[in-house]
Amino acid sequence: MDLPGPIHDIFVVFLGSILILGGLGVVLLMNPIDSAFSLGLVLVCISLFYISLNSYFVAAAQFLIYVGAINVLIIFAVMFINGSEYSNDSYLWTIGDRITSQICISIFFSLITIIPDTSWYGIFRTTKSNQIIEQDLISNVQQIGIHLSTDFYLPFELISIILLVSLIGAITIARQ
Amino acid sequence: MRNLSMMLEFVLFLSVSLFSIGIYGLITSRSMVRALMCLELLLNSVNMNLVAFSDIFDSRQLKGEIFSIFVIAIAAAEAAIGLAIISSIYRNRKSIRINQSNLLKN
Repeated sequence: MDLPGPIHDIFVVFLGSILILGGLGVVLLMNPIDSAFSLGLVLVCISLFYISLNSYFVAAAQFLIYVGAINVLIIFAVMFINGSEYSNDSYLWTIGDRITSQICISIFFSLITIIPDTSWYGIFRTTKSNQIIEQDLISNVQQIGIHLSTDFYLPFELISIILLVSLIGAITIARQ
Repeated sequence: MRNLSMMLEFVLFLSVSLFSIGIYGLITSRSMVRALMCLELLLNSVNMNLVAFSDIFDSRQLKGEIFSIFVIAIAAAEAAIGLAIISSIYRNRKSIRINQSNLLKN
């Protein structure tokens, strides 16, 4: 998306802070309906991030599939399973939780220290020199459609079969 | 140029933080629905990485976006199957606690 510089930066930092707070809310909120709506907030923010990364088709697919289908399904499941058992167990901070939080924080900091050490500019320059030959003027959505119908045709058909099989299986499991 | 690498690092930072939050929630959550939500968080952080790398390093071919579309489709199938299993377990056991689901015992 072609916003001017400071507006784009403010927009992205604002979206990122909402995203981290929403992710913490998914894990830490007591009531599961609150965490389901917080998950919806996170998914909407990720969809806006895709718009700021110039990939509009994935943003639309994210908004339609995740927010429109998966999040509604999760909210339906939370409402279907009644919340009487959630209220009685308060969040116990056991020894396992403490060990898990230590491990997750160590994973986080090790990855965070790896990210600035990598020279992204060198990789960018080498990939850019390869791509300077093919200057075609088709849009992103056309490019995705061409890939899906030519060289990713077999995975596309397999994805459709997997979706069909899993939806029939879900109906069969949940019916009874 | 400088701006693009900063944007990439910011997206990677967000993706790492979502990934660690998701792993923490996936391990420590007691109800199955919350574990599924944290699984969605993990898949979304991976998707953010794919889209960011394909936008910044591969803006001609865009193969990372195709992989992210595949990941979204797999996540939809996974959510449908998982919620069906959860509702089936809840119908049989009246509980969705992870540590109390011992249906295969006896």
